Amino acid sequence: MRHARIIFDGRELDIDIDTNDRITTTDGEVLDVTLDSDDITWLPPVKEPGTIFALGLNYADHATELAFEPPKEPLVFIKHANTLTGHKQVSYRPDNIEFQHYECELVAVIGKAGKNIKREDAMDYVAGYTVCNDFAIRDYLENYYRPNLRVKSRDSLLPMGPWIVDCKDVANANNLRLTTEVNGKITQDGSTSDMIFDVPFLVEYLSKIMTLNPGDMIATGTPHGVADMQPGDTVICTIENICSLETHIVSEKEYYGDKY
Amino acid sequence: MTANTLVHSKLVCVALNDKSQLAALEGTFNEAPYKKPPTQPVLYYKPRNTWSLDGAEVEWAKDFEGNDVRAMAVGASLGVVIGRETCRVSQAEALDYVRGYTIVSDFSLPEENYFRPDIKGKCLDTSAPVGPEVVPADTIANPNALTVTIRVNDEQKSAFALADMQRSVAELISTISWIMTLQPGEIIAVGFAGDRVPVTRGDRVEATIEGVGTLSNTLGGA
Repeated sequence: MRHARIIFDGRELDIDIDTNDRITTTDGEVLDVTLDSDDITWLPPVKEPGTIFALGLNYADHATELAFEPPKEPLVFIKHANTLTGHKQVSYRPDNIEFQHYECELVAVIGKAGKNIKREDAMDYVAGYTVCNDFAIRDYLENYYRPNLRVKSRDSLLPMGPWIVDCKDVANANNLRLTTEVNGKITQDGSTSDMIFDVPFLVEYLSKIMTLNPGDMIATGTPHGVADMQPGDTVICTIENICSLETHIVSEKEYYGDKY
Repeated sequence: MTANTLVHSKLVCVALNDKSQLAALEGTFNEAPYKKPPTQPVLYYKPRNTWSLDGAEVEWAKDFEGNDVRAMAVGASLGVVIGRETCRVSQAEALDYVRGYTIVSDFSLPEENYFRPDIKGKCLDTSAPVGPEVVPADTIANPNALTVTIRVNDEQKSAFALADMQRSVAELISTISWIMTLQPGEIIAVGFAGDRVPVTRGDRVEATIEGVGTLSNTLGGA
């Protein structure tokens, strides 16, 4: 089963999506609409988002591309809900920058609270998987708590969704093709098999430091093949058997409107 | 978990905002891995598992082998409580978005390095008590004129005049609001004395700001 949050017919709804793409609300109402309909507004799929843990340099090939040694332990940074947006929504490119890139990532959504979770028990604490695009503004990197908040905590720069897939419906999360398309052209093509620290490892690692709670998320990093984004671009991040996440890039002025 | 706190959704902390600390570390910050001193506020989050209240016990942290860590430290800051949505505001108007002030104690492993996000040091459960209350913004004429003191077991260990901050409260609110839209109830811990105070198991830690109150917590593990 897949789970999502949408606005449809003026209502904010929690929905389940079955293998035949039939949409049912959590109240049992069947919605007469298809998944690709423009009548659906997709919200970030985690209803009450908690702490978002994101991984840097978690694919050996991407670590090489960025001229760093692969880390000996996870490079984790934290994000919050201000960064989240949904499928088919907009993310913005800040003014006067040289390089903003996408990062297609597998996300594990925590479903149960736990601390000191052992690797072999980790999947009992994961509700499911989704996809995010963890945009970065490389111009803003500084060597203090890197990647710093100015790079990674901006409004709208963490699209996620469209849905969460139950863990039991994903046979092997460590062997999924991961691709990104920009304006219809594949620019990133990797596999979760190249992940350095996988989800069970990360659940164990983080829960040795702190309690993980339902609604927390772990964005597991991205492989090589990042490219610059410009207003007008459409970027689609896809992970096999999970979902495809589409984002439209707009200018800072267009995004903030009256607040610009 | 989120009910047991004065914080709503986000606690942003500002590191390296003590002028004397920045001056003392200038040589270090011109070398690898930093290469040059920070040009922007150095920010970190205390996530929701860290949030706690006045009077609460702060857990003594464990290392990755499950043993008690050897050392912990505390810093204390003025906590600026956001009153309404704060998006891309100027310094001149920034204080208009403040609902009130409180105190944030940041318990952590000793700060040794600022290069990578300090998840292991800063994200410990119960390590961010906030309180004892939120005093209304209009009771504090100038937040940059306050002094934050830390007493451990009734002995004063630290006094930090916010006049010695590299960046003022208004400047920080403005700069942060251009990175992320802040929401009512979110809190910014604007600056800590550069020298964090070492603490040990069972210590009673009181962080005080005149006009804001005293935030009292006890270290566990005794």
